[in-house]
Amino acid sequence: MIENFKINSKEIDKIKKISKTERDFRINNLNLFNEKGFPNKKQEDWKFSDLREIVQKNFKKLDVNKVNSKVKKINLIKDFHHNYIVIVNGELKSSNFSFEDKNRVRIKNFKNDNFLQKNKENSLVCLNHALSDKGYDVEIEANYKFKKALIIYNLFTKDLKENILNSRNKIKIGENSELHTIDLVINDSKYKFMNNVYENIILENNAVYKNICIQNDKNEGYFHKFSKSKLSSRSKYSAFIFPSGPKFNKLDLEFNLEGEDSECILQSASFLNKNDHQEIKTKMNHIAPSCKSYQKVKNVLGSDGKGVYQGKIYVKDIAQKTNAYQLSKALLLSDSSEFNSKPELEIYADDVKCSHGATSGNVDEDSIYYLMSRGLSRKESIKLLIDGFLNEVVDMIKSNSIKKFVKSKLESQIHGY
Amino acid sequence: MKNQNVNTNQEYKYGFTTDIENIRAPKGLNENSIKFISKIKKEPKWMLDWRLKAFNRLKNLKEPNWQKPKYPKINYQDLYYYSAPKSASEKPKSLDEVDPKLIETYKKLGIPLQEQKRLSGVAVDAVFDSVSVATTYKEELTKKGIIFCSISEAIREHPDLVKKYLGSVIPITDHYFATLNSAVFTDGSFVYIPPKVKCPMELSTYFRINASETGQFERTLIIADKGSYVSYLEGCTAPMRDENQLHAANVELVALDDAEIKYSTVQNWYPGDKNGVGGIYNFVTKRGACRGKNSKISWTQVETGSAITWKYPSCILQGDNSVGEFYSIAITNNHQKADTGTKMIHLGKNTKSKIISKGISAGKADNTYRGLVDIGKKALNSRNYTQCDSLLMGNKCGAHTVPYIKNKNSSSIVEHEATTSKINEEQLFYCNQRGLNQEEAVGLIVNGFCKEVLQQLPMEFAVEAQKLVGISLEGSVG
Repeated sequence: MIENFKINSKEIDKIKKISKTERDFRINNLNLFNEKGFPNKKQEDWKFSDLREIVQKNFKKLDVNKVNSKVKKINLIKDFHHNYIVIVNGELKSSNFSFEDKNRVRIKNFKNDNFLQKNKENSLVCLNHALSDKGYDVEIEANYKFKKALIIYNLFTKDLKENILNSRNKIKIGENSELHTIDLVINDSKYKFMNNVYENIILENNAVYKNICIQNDKNEGYFHKFSKSKLSSRSKYSAFIFPSGPKFNKLDLEFNLEGEDSECILQSASFLNKNDHQEIKTKMNHIAPSCKSYQKVKNVLGSDGKGVYQGKIYVKDIAQKTNAYQLSKALLLSDSSEFNSKPELEIYADDVKCSHGATSGNVDEDSIYYLMSRGLSRKESIKLLIDGFLNEVVDMIKSNSIKKFVKSKLESQIHGY
Repeated sequence: MKNQNVNTNQEYKYGFTTDIENIRAPKGLNENSIKFISKIKKEPKWMLDWRLKAFNRLKNLKEPNWQKPKYPKINYQDLYYYSAPKSASEKPKSLDEVDPKLIETYKKLGIPLQEQKRLSGVAVDAVFDSVSVATTYKEELTKKGIIFCSISEAIREHPDLVKKYLGSVIPITDHYFATLNSAVFTDGSFVYIPPKVKCPMELSTYFRINASETGQFERTLIIADKGSYVSYLEGCTAPMRDENQLHAANVELVALDDAEIKYSTVQNWYPGDKNGVGGIYNFVTKRGACRGKNSKISWTQVETGSAITWKYPSCILQGDNSVGEFYSIAITNNHQKADTGTKMIHLGKNTKSKIISKGISAGKADNTYRGLVDIGKKALNSRNYTQCDSLLMGNKCGAHTVPYIKNKNSSSIVEHEATTSKINEEQLFYCNQRGLNQEEAVGLIVNGFCKEVLQQLPMEFAVEAQKLVGISLEGSVG
């Protein structure tokens, strides 16, 4: 069954200039992947997203070879001024920090120097560690606040067909610094391919990081991202996710609130349609006292859409005065749509306030009636209600120009319904 | 029938001294022990075959290991799967020989001396006060056509009913402990309520006098036929002394059209001492099937005992408009571990379920709510509401919530909410100010916290359960 998807260790030899330790690390990870194969529903973390089945159904083979990553022209966003970096098929191509002090920002290709085997459970992470040789590494020095947002253009070229891309990225924000980024996916491939990303985010004391991840251009990609963040004292991390573009998308996000008074906010809105499968999995680890976390995940599911939310709040015994909140709401528009959630609490400290809520149901009939009695058609009423449901998240974005941009992206999806 | 049971007890009393081999099953889990149990229970062949089928399947099964509370490996070959009630000579001679802590608790609960002896396993003459009570009840039940007897008796006297329903909710192909129970169960209760009969009283194992020795593998089967109603009580608020460490009971409920079953449990087995030594492993499988239209099954449980409690009373809502309810209080103190919750499986149209779970964790205990709400594609217009609240006392304990929520159609609504917090300092202060000491104040607040569940218990139970909540948390404050 999974034999077709085993990967030969020769692939690692193609990666140039690696030390013996690195080679061993990669071989070790490759063996772990080959042993386990793609994760399936027998693993608790993949209970609702059987990737093995999905891969077998949709792919005949997966090509790990390099693909042509030449791009002639990129249509930059003109709505607002911004810095940018361009990633093509996972590979860092160019960067532009024209609005910033260039001495305070460092950007380079990602080079791994940590060969400790930590994650053995997730075979996709193993696969990434074995094969990734691309990605970016951004570091912001201490005491520097970005003047304009940084847009990360993630381009996928039309040459992609049954490929699997593995890349690793890292963002480090120094003490008292601030960075706003927008992750944008632009896909030119009409074919199926896989994108497997491992991301590391480090916030030093007092750092602020705001990220908006926009993936909602519909495409045939199968995306998996594992992101691990470290939040030091008084740092703030705010993430907005609009992930509903790819055919399959799993975002596995781990936030470690390691410093006192750190704060993490995660908000997501997605509109899933026709066979889309999307999972957001979060793990909020409260390791230090007086930290705050807030999660709000909203899903609208059209015909055959399948949404999953697995959120866990973990509070260590020393993490007193924790305030953690988690909310998952889903609207099911069709009887063929499905929403599964597992909002989990694991708490070992007593002086905490932790709560979660999860709801799923259809659009409220009373509200539809109200709107129809004011002259809207049924379809218009439903669209308006969906709009309101998802915009609650978008409205939390502070910058008006960015908010407008995100809104237009989301609206085009809703209007397609 | 009751008198007969008493006689059997007396027989064993003498039988012990002469022929000890005959009343104990051979040691270990094997076909011989199962045949022995079946023989001593005078079971027909079909029953023995059923047991052996379960046993054959058990050979290929592994113990589950996904649950949160881990326990030392159980050596199944080192257990006796059947032993007759103890003779007087083996039991403690008087209350002086019983753990004084236990006696103290009895006193607090206000249990009469005679009862104290019975509960702590002190040898008492077979003349219980309750015997006469039980007999009068029995007559009234028989008049209405209600069958209420031990499952062994039902296998002999009502084979058609047992054949039809036993294993229909918890099949022998279920998980490890349920299958183990199917192979080796020794006794338990059987209830059948005929159509359109409303059972006039709350049925309880308490009134079945031989119930105190049902052993570690209890099997209960309750069938409510069309339009009937029954409320069943299991367990007792008073702590039970027990020799067996592993308890793997199976409880099956079947509700047909318009029938309603209310099942209340108070579980207070020995939780082990302060350092977590000893205590019962309570691995119970409880499942109810709402087979008929408009049927209803309601589980209420107060779990305060056992070293490890691991159970998920579930409802399979097959019939249209059927209703499943689950009310639970789980209190863990010292080194106790509880992993409990429910499964609500919605299959029929317009099915409704409600889950209220209250977990209280103190000392070094771990308390987990684990539940599943699964709304199938055809379960149109279904509704679920779940609320699970946890209360933590001290920073050495843990409270966890692991709900699984699946919704597969757009006309159903699922709601889930959970909170975790500690006792509000202001509430404590308010109570202290009015003259309550710390312990009383905590008892009062916790009782308020559990109110929604306590209200669901039958009257007599509720009063005792309230006291029990306070007692279970003793020593956890200050």
